[in-house]
Parts: sequence; C-alpha cells; structure tokens
Amino acid sequence: MKRVPWVALATLLTALGLRVAALLEPVSGLLPGCAFKRLTGVACATCGLTRCVMAIGRWDWREAFHWHPAAAGALALLPIVAAWDLRRAWRGDPYPELPDSRAARLSVWAILAAMWALQVARGI
Amino acid sequence: MRLPFTASFRALARPGSAFAAPPPALGPAVRDMALVWIPLALLNAAWTAWRALQAYDALRRGAIAPGILGWLGADPADFQELVSALPASPAYGQVWPWLLLAVPLGVLGTWLHHAVWDHAGLWLLGGLKERRGFRTSLLAEAEALRIAALGTLLGLLGFVPVLGWVLALPLMLLDAYLWLFRGFALAARHGCEPWRGIAATGVHVLLLGCCVLGLVSLMLFMVRMAA
Repeated sequence: MKRVPWVALATLLTALGLRVAALLEPVSGLLPGCAFKRLTGVACATCGLTRCVMAIGRWDWREAFHWHPAAAGALALLPIVAAWDLRRAWRGDPYPELPDSRAARLSVWAILAAMWALQVARGI
Repeated sequence: MRLPFTASFRALARPGSAFAAPPPALGPAVRDMALVWIPLALLNAAWTAWRALQAYDALRRGAIAPGILGWLGADPADFQELVSALPASPAYGQVWPWLLLAVPLGVLGTWLHHAVWDHAGLWLLGGLKERRGFRTSLLAEAEALRIAALGTLLGLLGFVPVLGWVLALPLMLLDAYLWLFRGFALAARHGCEPWRGIAATGVHVLLLGCCVLGLVSLMLFMVRMAA
C-alpha cells in the first residue's frame, strides 16, 4: 500500500463508535432532547440523528432510515467509500481535489437544506 | 522576563496578523502543536477522569437531586434501579496509564478532524480558490491549535471549587473564540478573506456539531448528574 487509506480508517472508527453508541442506549432516554426544537417547535437538520445512530448500533436499519434517512444512507455507503479508498491507497493515487465549482457547492447546500426540510415535514 | 505563552496571548489578541509570517513546514508545525498541547491535554484529562470517576460512583449510589429527576420526568425508583445496575468504576490507578495513550491519539485525532471539517466548510464557502490543497488546512490547523492550546490551560481553572462556577461563562466564551480563531489561520494560509475562514469553522459546527452533540451531551450528562 503506497498511501494511507484515511477514509477507510475513519470508516473503521465510525463502526467502533456505532457499537459504543449502542452501549449507551439504556440511558439515552434521559437526554433532554433537541434544544432547537424545544425553542422553536420545529425539527433541526439533525433531529433524529441520535436515534438513527442508536438504531444502527443494534443493526436495525429500517428504524435508522426512519429517524434520519440521509445519515443512514450515508452510513450505508461508507463500506463502498472505504473500498474505493483502499483501492486508491493501494494504487498510490492522491485524493482528488474538491471541485472548484459554484454549482457543486450550491448542490451540497441544497442537499443539506433538503435534509432539513424533510425532517421538518415528517415532524421528526 | 518572558512569560510562557506570551506569543500565544499576543496572537489571540491580534488574530488578523497572527499568521502573517511565512508558513512553517507541516512537520515542525505538527511537532510544535503536539509539544504544547499534549502535556496540557494530559493534565486536563487526568483531572477530568478523576472527577468523572468520583461523579460516576456518586451516581451509582443514587446521589442525585430529586429536582433533576423531576425535570427529566424520570421515576426515582426506576432511576435507582437503572443506576444500581451500572458496573463499578475502575480504580484511578487503572485509568491513568491509558490516558498516556489516549490523549496523544485524541490530540492528533482532533487536529485531523478539525482539518477535514474546516476544509469542507471552507470549500462550501468558496474559500479554496487558490487551490492550495488539504495539506494547507492541516498546516493552518496545527498552527492555530498550538496557540489555542492556551485554552486547555485556562480551562483548568474551571475545576477550582467556586471559581469554576464563576468562570463558567467566561470560559465558554473563550472556547467559542478559540473555535473561531482557527478561521484566521485557515484564511491566512489559503489566501482567502478572514470571514470565509471564520465562517468555515461555523459551518463545521452546523455540519457536525449537531450530529455529535446528542451523544457527547449524553455522556457529559451522565457525569454531571452526579457531580
């Protein structure tokens, strides 16, 4: 391997973090809840994320997608990204540069806003 | 006499000119960051672990104000049953050797984490026009975190009885400033406007802060409940 597969290593750490999160589930009910939602009555962009993480920790993907589809989808894609990163590191290729494109940046902002709108619309 | 951290204080007071000098190489910058930050982080972690173990033992004994249980809406009997089932805490002598491994890893992990998310935030705000790459973000973060390690030192004041409560708000404000301070380093090294660098650290909070807040607050909450 000619380069360090940082993304693959991060994926491994994420998997370990999910297992730890599952261990915390028995006391998760004591959490005070989302401060933004408490103040405004509207879900924030990440409302449902803790419950999503807890669900993945016990390998309940159906419930994870219910609580936060975007996060669950992103986590489901992590093994594929890790495999790509391992191949990149094996071949010695550098990471690609982020595109210098206003359209790409605006697309990411739009996806983030859409995630938030989805959570608000579903009343999570 | 030259006081320790004089340069850090000066940089924090004048962030706009703190990164005007030519950038050092990445290796020395990371080494300097580690040499300043790791000892302070070790001290902070050792103290935090000691306090956390005390708090955990108090929690297992059910030492919690009834008002807090009422605020949480938890039934005292259920809560007592829950905490009494928790395993006993390890002795402090078993914990601190692990800190010698965990803290340096945590320092380097935090540096990498900040670099990744601030770089992403800077890209989202169009601050990477000069195309200087991720390595530049790694360098900027190392420089900024070496200076911001001063906050870890001042944060120790938060453990002092009574004074800790008095200083809680000022220390929180200092934390917020030190978070944004990284933006000045990012902007200077990437050659963009300071507002983009500062806003990138804000985007970092938006993108990730909320995500981990639930889990981190859960762990802190468990510690604080019995403190």
